[in-house]
Amino acid sequence: MGNLYHNKIAQWVVYVAFFAALAIIPNMVGDSFLLNQFATYCVYGMLALSISLCWGFGGILNLGQGIAFGLGAYGMAMTMQMQSQTESNPIPPFMLNNSLDYLPLLWQPFQSTLLGLILAVTVPTLFCAAFGGIMFRARVSGPFFAIMTLAMLSAFYTIILDRQAYTGGVNGLTPPSAFQFAGVEVDPYSPTAYWVVLFFLTGATFLAKLITQSSFGLVTQAIRDDSERVRFLGYSVAGYETVIYTISGLIAAVAGCCWVMLVQYVSPAQMDVGFSLSIVIWAAIGGRHSLLGSILGALIIQGAQSYLGDTFLATWLLILGGFFIVVVRFLPNGLASLLEVALGLLARPDPTSSPAPDGGRPLPAE
Amino acid sequence: MKITRRNILKSTAAAAAAVSLPQLWIPESSEAWGATLKKGEPIKVGLLFSLTGSLAVPEEDSALVMQYAIDEINKAGGVAGLPIEPVIVDAKSDFAVYSEKAKELILRDKVIALFGCYTSASRKAILPTVMQRDHLLYYPTCYEGAECTQNTICTGPLANQHSQDLIPFMVQQFGKRVFFVGSNYVWPKESNKNAKVWLEKAGGELLGEEYIPLSSSEFGPLLNKIRDANPDFIFSTVVGASDIAFHKQFKQEGFKVDKMPIASLTTGEIETRAMGAEFGAGHFLSAPYFQSLDTPTNQKFVESFLKSKYGKNGTTHYNMEETYTSAYVFKAGFEKAAAAVGFENVTPRIIRDHSGGIRVEDDVSPEGLIWIDENNFNTWLKPKIGQCQADGTFKIVKAAEKHVAPDPYSIYPDVGLCTKDGLKAPDGKIRKSVI
Amino acid sequence: MDLGSLLNALILGVSIASIWLIAALGLTIIYGTAGVINMAHGELIMLGAYSSYMLQFYLGLPYLLCLPASFVVVALVGLALERGLIRYLYSRPLDTLLATYGVSLVLMQGVRLIFGSDPKYLAVPEIFQSNVMLGSVSVSAFRIVVLLVTVLLVLALWLLFYKTRFGVQVRAVMQNKEMAAAFGINSGRIYMLTFALGAGLAGVAGALFGVLAIVLPTMGASYVVQAFLMVVVGGGSLAGSVVASGVTGEMQSVFAFFTNDTLARFIIFVLIVAFLRFRPQGLFAQSGARR
Repeated sequence: MGNLYHNKIAQWVVYVAFFAALAIIPNMVGDSFLLNQFATYCVYGMLALSISLCWGFGGILNLGQGIAFGLGAYGMAMTMQMQSQTESNPIPPFMLNNSLDYLPLLWQPFQSTLLGLILAVTVPTLFCAAFGGIMFRARVSGPFFAIMTLAMLSAFYTIILDRQAYTGGVNGLTPPSAFQFAGVEVDPYSPTAYWVVLFFLTGATFLAKLITQSSFGLVTQAIRDDSERVRFLGYSVAGYETVIYTISGLIAAVAGCCWVMLVQYVSPAQMDVGFSLSIVIWAAIGGRHSLLGSILGALIIQGAQSYLGDTFLATWLLILGGFFIVVVRFLPNGLASLLEVALGLLARPDPTSSPAPDGGRPLPAE
Repeated sequence: MKITRRNILKSTAAAAAAVSLPQLWIPESSEAWGATLKKGEPIKVGLLFSLTGSLAVPEEDSALVMQYAIDEINKAGGVAGLPIEPVIVDAKSDFAVYSEKAKELILRDKVIALFGCYTSASRKAILPTVMQRDHLLYYPTCYEGAECTQNTICTGPLANQHSQDLIPFMVQQFGKRVFFVGSNYVWPKESNKNAKVWLEKAGGELLGEEYIPLSSSEFGPLLNKIRDANPDFIFSTVVGASDIAFHKQFKQEGFKVDKMPIASLTTGEIETRAMGAEFGAGHFLSAPYFQSLDTPTNQKFVESFLKSKYGKNGTTHYNMEETYTSAYVFKAGFEKAAAAVGFENVTPRIIRDHSGGIRVEDDVSPEGLIWIDENNFNTWLKPKIGQCQADGTFKIVKAAEKHVAPDPYSIYPDVGLCTKDGLKAPDGKIRKSVI
Repeated sequence: MDLGSLLNALILGVSIASIWLIAALGLTIIYGTAGVINMAHGELIMLGAYSSYMLQFYLGLPYLLCLPASFVVVALVGLALERGLIRYLYSRPLDTLLATYGVSLVLMQGVRLIFGSDPKYLAVPEIFQSNVMLGSVSVSAFRIVVLLVTVLLVLALWLLFYKTRFGVQVRAVMQNKEMAAAFGINSGRIYMLTFALGAGLAGVAGALFGVLAIVLPTMGASYVVQAFLMVVVGGGSLAGSVVASGVTGEMQSVFAFFTNDTLARFIIFVLIVAFLRFRPQGLFAQSGARR
C-alpha cells in the first residue's frame, strides 16, 4: 500500500466528510453574523479553489483572478440593483447624481433577473476564454502571463473607477435590498444564503476534482511540469491551458455572484491587485496542489484575519507575511504537503513512489 | 411564502433548539436586532476606523479623538448616568472589511451605534447592513450628500455647505477665472457641481475641470494644462497622499502661491505638516474647524487633547473635531431618547428619531454651536476659510456669519427633498433608504 | 491646442519616463540577472525614502548626500534579504514572486510599527523647489535632478556591465549559469551582488520619490506594478527598460494631454497587454536567458 494521501478513494472520503461538516454548520450556529461570515469564507474558499485548479494543476499563475471575480460581482450587483428599482423609479440613484436620466444600454439586460444572472457568469467566463486563448496561443506563459493578468487587472480597475456614471466609481454599487429569486428573498444572514453558497462551493469542488482526475487533468498537469514535452507529444498546449483557465474563471465568476449576494456590495476594491494576490496566498499556504488544501487555506487565513487580526491589531500583517515567507521557503506545496509527508511516513516503504516532496518536483495528483 | 429575515431567523433558532446540537461559539440565538441595554452596564458603541493601511492616516486620528471624547464623557458622568464602552475594530482600509466589521459590531457585539468611516466608499459598503438592521451610523466627516437614509447622522459639512463661502471669497480676492482639480471619485465630482453653482452666482468663469486617479502622484500633465489655462485660482478637491504630491509639485513646477493660490476643501493641518509648511503656506482651506480657532472651548480642547494619551500626533484637525462633536451628538440623542421611552427600550432608530434638532453648544463644540437638521440629519454649521501660514497653522480670514443649512439634494431639486421618513419626490411619494 | 503646449507635454514625457525608469532600474537588474520576480521592490523604494528621512532627521545629512546613503542602506537590506531568503529560491522563479510578496507585507508593516502611519517629509534645498524656463518651456528643477540621476545611473550601470570584469561575469551567469561556473565564476556571489545592487537602486528611487510625492509605509505599492510592466516589456535588459520607459512616459504625457490622466493609464495598460501578445519575450530579450 502506498501513501494514503494519493489514494483516490481516501481523497473522496475526505472531501465528502469535509462538505458534510460544512453542511451541518447552520444547525450548530445560531448566530446570524457567524453564519454570514462562514458563507463569506466559503466564497473565498471557492476563489482559492479556482486558483488551485489553474495554478496547482495547470501551472498558470493567475494574479488577476479579481477580473473574473469582479466582473461576476458587478453583474450580480447590477441585477440586484435593478431588482430594487420600480416602475416609477427606474434608474439607480447614483446615475441621477452623474447626470444620467435614462438607463444606459449596458444596464438594460439586468432588468431581467435571469438574464442578469446569465450575463454575470458568462461575461467573465467568455473574457477568460478570449484573453486566455489569445495569450496562450502566443505562448505567453509563466511569470509573463502572471504579469499580463496583473496589467489587465489594473486596466479593469482603472476603467471601472473612471466610468462613474455606469459603475458607481470608487463607491461601487450597493443594492439596498436582498437578492430575490423566483419570488423568494434570499436574506444574506439566513441559512438559505449559506446553503446556496455551499451548494456552489461543493459543486465547484467536485467538478474540479473530477477534472483533475480525468485524462484531461493529467494532460494539464503534464503541461504544468513540462509544457515543451507535452507539445512535442502532439497535444494542443494552448487549448488545454485555455480550457483550464476558463473553468477557473467560471468558478471565480460564480464566487463573485455569491459574494455580492452575501455582502450586498461591490466596488473596484474587489479588483485591486492586493485582493487578487491574497487569493494566491490562500492557495499557496493551503497547498496549491490540493483543492481541499487551498479551500482550507482560505478559511484559515481569513478566519485568522478576522479573529486574530483584532487581537494583534498592529502585528497581524507582520505575522501573515512572516508565515507566508516560511511556508514558501520550507513548504513550497503548502500545509497540505505536511499531511502528505505524515501519511507517507505511515505508509509502508514503497519502492515505486519516492516520498521526497522537497524541491520543485510536485507529485502528479494530490 | 415570502421568506423574510425575521421568520428565517426565528425558524433557524427553533430548528437549532429542536436538533439541540451543541452550539458552537455563541450560545444565544440571535435576534433581528438586539442591543440589550441593562441598567448598570456600560453602553457599547462601535468604532469602525482603519487603523492600518492607506486610510489610516486620517482615520487613526479619528479613532483616537473618539476615545478621548468617550473618556471625557465618562469622566463627567457618562450618558444617562452610564459609562460608554467603545468596541474598537480595525477596518484595515479594505471596504470589504468595513462591511464585515460593521456586521460584527451590530450582530455580535450588539453596539447601540457605530461611529466611523472616512470615505463615501466605506460608508456605502456598510450602509446596506446598517439599513437592514435599522441601526445607526455617526458619519463624522464631510461628504457629497445625495443620500437620504434613516440611519445616518453626519457631523461634517455637505458639499453644498463646503464651498458656499469659499468660491465667492476667492473670486473677490483673486479673480474670476478658476480651474477645478479633483481626485477621480464621487465626492470631488459632486463638490465641483455645487461649486459651479456658487461660481455662477459669483460671476466666475470655469476654465477647466480635471480629475486625477486616487493614488496618483504624477501631476505634471495636469499642471501643464493649468499653466496653459492660467487661471486666477485653483479649486481643489484632491485627497490623501495625492493632495500632498499636488501641493509639492505645484511649487516645484514654479507656480506662485500669491498669483494662483489653491482653494481646497481638504488640505488641513495634517496634510500641511506631511508636505512641509513651505508647500502649504499661502493656500486656502474651507472647513468648519481649524486648530487655531480663537475660542476658549477650542483652546481648552486643543490643550487637553494634546496633553492626553491620545494626542500623540500633535495636531487637531477638522476631521477630528467633527468626530469629537459626534460623540456629544450621540450623548444628547441617547439621553433624549432614554427620557422619552425609558432606558431599556432605547434602540438605534429611536436615538436617531430623537436626534433632530439636537444642539451642541458653544461650551462643548470647539467649532462653536452646531445643530442637527430635523429632516435630513446632517449638521447646521458655520464654514470658515483659513489661509495656511508659514508655520503650518491656519489664519482664519473669513467665517460665515450665519449657520448654513445642510441640503443633500441642493443641486438635484427634481429628485426631491430629504425628510425624516425618506426621500420625498416631487410627486409626493416617499422612498426610504435612498443611497 | 497650440504647439507650445504639445512641446511642453513632450518634454514632460521625458521626465515621466525617467520616473518610470528609475523605479524599474533595480528590478531590471534583479530580474535580468537572476530571474527573480521581486514583489518587495516597491517596499525597497519605500525603505529608501525612509532611510533618507532618518538620515536627514536624525543626522542632519544634506539631501544630496542622502541619495548615495540610501543606496548603501537599502543595498545592505537587499543583501540580507538575498542571503536569508532569496538564494534558496533561484530554482523556483514563481516562488520568488510569492516569497517576496510576503517580504513586502513584513517590510510595510514593520515600517509602520516603527514610524507610525502618518506621512513623513523630506526637505530639499531651495533651488530644487522651483522651475527653470527654457524659452516657452517650463521644467521643474527637481524633475531635472531626477532625470540627471537616472541618466547617471544608467550610464554607470552600462559601464559596470560592459566595461568591467564584474560585468562580464554577470553577463556570463545570465547567459548560462552552469557554463559560467565551469569557468570558475562564483554565480552565488554574482547573484548576491546584483540583488544588493538592484535593491540599492530602489533605495535611490525612493529618496527621489519621497520628494516628488510623499513618504508613507504604503508608498511602494503604487510603483511595483508599473515597474514590472517596464521590465517585462523591455525584456529584462537594461536597454529594453530604457526604451520601454521612454515610450511609456511619453505616451502617458501625451495621452493625458489629449484626454485625462485616468484614461491615459487605461490606454497604457491595454497597449502593454496587446504588445506582449505579439512580443511576449519583450523588446530586447537576452539570448540564452532562462524562460
